[in-house]
Amino acid sequence: MNILSIALKEMKQSIRNRRTLLFTLAFPIVLMLILGLALTNAFSSNVSIGDLKVVLKDSSGGGQLSQAFTGFTKEVGKMGVTFESLKSGMNGREEVQNGRYVDYVELTDQGISLYGSSRDTIESNIVQGMLASFTDKYNAASAVAQIEPTKTEAVFASGGHDYIKETSVNPDRTPGSIDYYALAMTVMIGMWAAMAGSHIIKGEITRGTAVRLVIAPVRKSEIFTGMILGGIVTNMLCVIAIILFSKYVFKAYWGSHMGIVLIVLLSEVIMAMSLGLAASYLLKGAVSSGIISIVVQLMSFFGGAYFPIGNETGGGMMGFLVNLSPVRWANHGLTEVIYGNTVSAAWPVVGLNIGFAVLFLGASIFMMRRREGL
Amino acid sequence: MNVLDIRGLTKKFGDFVAVDNMSLTVREGEIFGFLGANGAGKSTTINVVSSLLRPSSGEIRILDKDIMKQSRFAKMNLGIVPQDLAIYEDMTAYENVSFFAGLYGLRGIKLKERTIEALDFVGLGDKAKSFPKNFSGGMKRRLNIACAIAHKPKLIIMDEPTVGIDPQSRNYILTSVRKLNESGCTIIYTSHYMEEVEEICSRIAIVDHGKIIAEGTKEQLKSTITDVKDIRIELKSVQGGVVEKLRSIPGVRNVSQEDHVIRIHSDAAVDNLNRMLKQLIDAGMEIRSVEEQEPNLETVFLTLTGRNLRD
Repeated sequence: MNILSIALKEMKQSIRNRRTLLFTLAFPIVLMLILGLALTNAFSSNVSIGDLKVVLKDSSGGGQLSQAFTGFTKEVGKMGVTFESLKSGMNGREEVQNGRYVDYVELTDQGISLYGSSRDTIESNIVQGMLASFTDKYNAASAVAQIEPTKTEAVFASGGHDYIKETSVNPDRTPGSIDYYALAMTVMIGMWAAMAGSHIIKGEITRGTAVRLVIAPVRKSEIFTGMILGGIVTNMLCVIAIILFSKYVFKAYWGSHMGIVLIVLLSEVIMAMSLGLAASYLLKGAVSSGIISIVVQLMSFFGGAYFPIGNETGGGMMGFLVNLSPVRWANHGLTEVIYGNTVSAAWPVVGLNIGFAVLFLGASIFMMRRREGL
Repeated sequence: MNVLDIRGLTKKFGDFVAVDNMSLTVREGEIFGFLGANGAGKSTTINVVSSLLRPSSGEIRILDKDIMKQSRFAKMNLGIVPQDLAIYEDMTAYENVSFFAGLYGLRGIKLKERTIEALDFVGLGDKAKSFPKNFSGGMKRRLNIACAIAHKPKLIIMDEPTVGIDPQSRNYILTSVRKLNESGCTIIYTSHYMEEVEEICSRIAIVDHGKIIAEGTKEQLKSTITDVKDIRIELKSVQGGVVEKLRSIPGVRNVSQEDHVIRIHSDAAVDNLNRMLKQLIDAGMEIRSVEEQEPNLETVFLTLTGRNLRD
């Protein structure tokens, strides 16, 4: 009960802080609009399913898999996905790395291997979705063949368009600039929870109210949990507000897995809140808020909040920094969920966020327990 | 019955001993004055009693229960009015009191009643829906008190509750302290205003360098100062350098000046009044009145600690 009343108090105060609330909501919406309109041409118009080129190496020895796959390539070829054989002297991975193909597919006796492009995530995901559909169908056909070999053909005879239908990839759906910034800004707002987290306990100490909380018959863990819970709910409400605004006012596309999208964003908010809290315990005075603000801005920048930065970086220091940003993790994962229908892409992001949250919260609890007062 | 019992309390910060083997007892129904100059160990003692700091050694009992072993019981029976305001400016007066009272397990109608009662008690009943950011300093101090009393604690510690406020609010707070005491609360009161302590406290302890150096009723404390006389001389005007000259007279312990009045603390055994007056007349000053006063708490404090309370 105490946890709940502390959380409600925290939410009430955050919502009454109109200046911060307005900034938290208005800034991303305005930025979404400005950048979305200004960079319209830089986005989806260049990406179409007809442009997809995949390099293929068939080492399966021309067996059933090879034959079935040839049928598959013909069907998806009608949709504009071209499979080209790997020529001698060519390295499939390098071809993808260098951006000449979106994916490299290798057929062997063991099955199908795919090397996807980390640059052209969306295009690669479309191909992956189609391949997943093919493998499902091939596995089904193999199972039928073991029981009733004559019915095998019927499994494949259901038509090539199934590859498209079953992957649920909408060939016309590519992220426009508004779609991109709706996602990027929402992820950035989720990360802003770090700034709220850095202030959550420090604010009580500065106001002098920490004294009253500590002398009350309430455990430190209840105070701690209540405050974090309040902060998480408030920040999550902001995130949801941004999603709804972008979806219904800007008509941004959020895909068909909204629940998964919200889980990823919730994990990001929890991680960000914990990061801010840990910083406030590790760094003394007002320094922590300043440092966290800078760190969040850097994470947003490298994570592609202001413009897509990840795809062209390749390796090196820039690539390293980009991959360090939790904003990038969430952006990348959610793009796959929303545009590639790859729900599984959400879980590594959720895992990373929750893992770091546990680490940061653990450090904060350790330091809080050693302290006198909050 | 003892409401607070401190036995052999020591609190160290590294090598610095802030509270040094202190023992103190506060009895039920008292308004107990806790006096000490800045850095004497007063606030540290209060913070340990309130569980804000952990004692290095010693035992503290509230209503005969060890605060370390039965901290919930101790906290339920303790109310603190901190020296610095501890209120939320962005929550109404009602929300402030209700939130803090809720942490003491009050719920529903009882919580509502106690909140309104506490606000009425400090004269803020009509300001329940107002935000403290629009309050005067005195009103904020009163809200600070309301937040500490809504759960009806047996012991209330008030750490300089009248600092920096107008005389009207100050009088209101002093009256409230008396009313609280009459309603059955035991109060520990600290202040830099000696006259407040003298006016409302039934028993007083003086703390210096982390130790209680004197304890008792006002009369008992004053009676300990038999070797000091307190002389008050009113002049038409005071010339510079006279205070230093008076200090050089044998037996004089301390000289202070406030407008045209000079106060001299001197050894009672030394007959030096004539020399004092001669010094002033020689300096060309016109004497309006000379008065030898009974020692007051300030004299006691100065004599025992060698410092003014506001030092």
